[in-house]
Amino acid sequence: MTLRAIISTKLGAYGYFAIALAVAIALLFAWVFFKGGYLLTVLQLAMIYGVFCVGLNFFMGYTGQASFGQNAFAAIGGYGSAILTVQYGWEPILALVVSMAVAGVAAVVVGYPTLRLRGHYLAMATFALGLITYDVSVQWTDLTQGYMGYSGIPPLGIGPFTVEDDKLKLVCLAVILALGVWVSSRLRHSRFGRALRAISSTELGAAALGIRVSRYKLLAFIIAALYASAAGSLFAHTVGFISPEVFGLQMVVVTFTMLYVGGIGTVLGPAIGAVIASLLPEVVRSTGRFQDIAYAAVLILMLIFVPKGLSTLASIGRRRPIKAGAEG
Amino acid sequence: MPNGFELLQSLINGLGVGLVYGLIAIGFCVIYNASGIVNFAQGVFVMLGGMFAHTLLTRLGLPMLAAAVISIVLVAMVGVLVQVLVINPMWQRKAPLFAIILATLAVQLLIEQIVILTLGDQPRTYPEFTLGGPLKLGPIAIGYQLFWILGCGAVMVVALQLFFNRTRVGRALRACSQNREAAALLGIPVASMLMLSFALSAALGAAAGILITPTQYTAYSVDGPFGINGFIAAIIGGFGSAPAALVGGTLLGVVQAGAIVFFGAGYKNVVALTILLIVLLFFPNGLFGGWGKRV
Repeated sequence: MTLRAIISTKLGAYGYFAIALAVAIALLFAWVFFKGGYLLTVLQLAMIYGVFCVGLNFFMGYTGQASFGQNAFAAIGGYGSAILTVQYGWEPILALVVSMAVAGVAAVVVGYPTLRLRGHYLAMATFALGLITYDVSVQWTDLTQGYMGYSGIPPLGIGPFTVEDDKLKLVCLAVILALGVWVSSRLRHSRFGRALRAISSTELGAAALGIRVSRYKLLAFIIAALYASAAGSLFAHTVGFISPEVFGLQMVVVTFTMLYVGGIGTVLGPAIGAVIASLLPEVVRSTGRFQDIAYAAVLILMLIFVPKGLSTLASIGRRRPIKAGAEG
Repeated sequence: MPNGFELLQSLINGLGVGLVYGLIAIGFCVIYNASGIVNFAQGVFVMLGGMFAHTLLTRLGLPMLAAAVISIVLVAMVGVLVQVLVINPMWQRKAPLFAIILATLAVQLLIEQIVILTLGDQPRTYPEFTLGGPLKLGPIAIGYQLFWILGCGAVMVVALQLFFNRTRVGRALRACSQNREAAALLGIPVASMLMLSFALSAALGAAAGILITPTQYTAYSVDGPFGINGFIAAIIGGFGSAPAALVGGTLLGVVQAGAIVFFGAGYKNVVALTILLIVLLFFPNGLFGGWGKRV
């Protein structure tokens, strides 16, 4: 196999463009790593959002379904980690894994009835789930401490080794994100991933090929929930503080922006989008308000003009046609 | 345990809010039936209605009626802008459904932030249309604004019914909802009809916002709850006819008011959203089976 063939089989429609982006991001990492300071935090959050987006990509990108309520699972992860470590003194890793399990079970319970819905109805039902979770996290003060949130959440670590240093945190998060992307890439090219993509092109066709559509949809939903929960836990351990606002509607819009900027349905897109969309507000930052406006405006423009994200740029000048977007 | 009068009192209050949800729900239906799009930014129109009316009343000192009419026209223009600048380009490019939903959510966020920057983030309210009151019936107090909401709601629903059934434009809109291609072949300008549906829907939302603001408050953030509750009302009503949506909204408002009495105000949205999930899962065509399209 030539290098080009390897690149295009491993990375799909991305090819050299993705390599160039990856190199650019690696250089950025190196620069931030040695410079330190505020951008370290920005990149840490980008890694965490990246984990979330890679998971969401399973459900929205590969399978072509819509979930506007993944923040609910991030909230489960975040609060699970916070409560287990702060109240009960658990090991962070153990809390993270247990929270993920809880989120997985929640995804089964919630997804089984909800995923029968399609289109607007699925979008609204998942949206409702996200909002219910937000309201509950505000109101159930005995469990979540309401708007106060949890502070003093210990950093990630195993036994006596804890990751306190900001640079080390960034490296750990980057490794975790890379692991997440690797799993996503392996699954995308497996029988499972091909089934998901078949569902995204046509559900009837997929069913005719013997794919159990509802089961695969549910599996994709669960995987997305596991990633989201892990992202929530990582947020809690990295920042050390969580409140309901962290997992609010803002999170939905921000993560969707990342997914669309990077290229929905691609392997590296969500991770790249998370880095780019996290740096974007730093470029236009003057007040917090303009940051939100920038997000919303960029998202709208992307949705209208480049709905396939940066992967569209990669395919300029190629003969390969861009596959029609996934129907919701 | 609350006593009977307290419960009745809050149910009556719920009636007013519910009627407003119903009006918002009609706005959802108008756009959905014309285009098949659910405009998640519907609540923005409600918020803008209240905010514009407040600004016109306090800063320019206009009388209530003038402020209301001007606000409704302004919000209708915002609705047209949203359609022309965001929805139509996506529509032309055959964007997938959830991309359009997402775009409307982003529009909501964008308009919220613009309102914070221009009008401020403080909650505000203005007096009821008719001062005095409330009307006392024994221990029950009924604010005069409730009668305004009832009256205006009734007038608007009747006017809408007449518009959809008796006028050429209204019939053209209904034709678009049944089959856009056939409608286009019959010479109906489908694109303008879409624009009209956004204007109409925005105007309805604005009217709802202007009516409800005196009984509570308005702020940049009220659009989310209003939009969601309006959508729930539309789902209960089955996305079919205006009266069904109004009944759906009223039901929702009353149930929510009851839930506040029993569970506390904090959980009112949780109750509403749970109702939404139940209706979605068991009555996908609405409680009245409506003529809503299956999705």
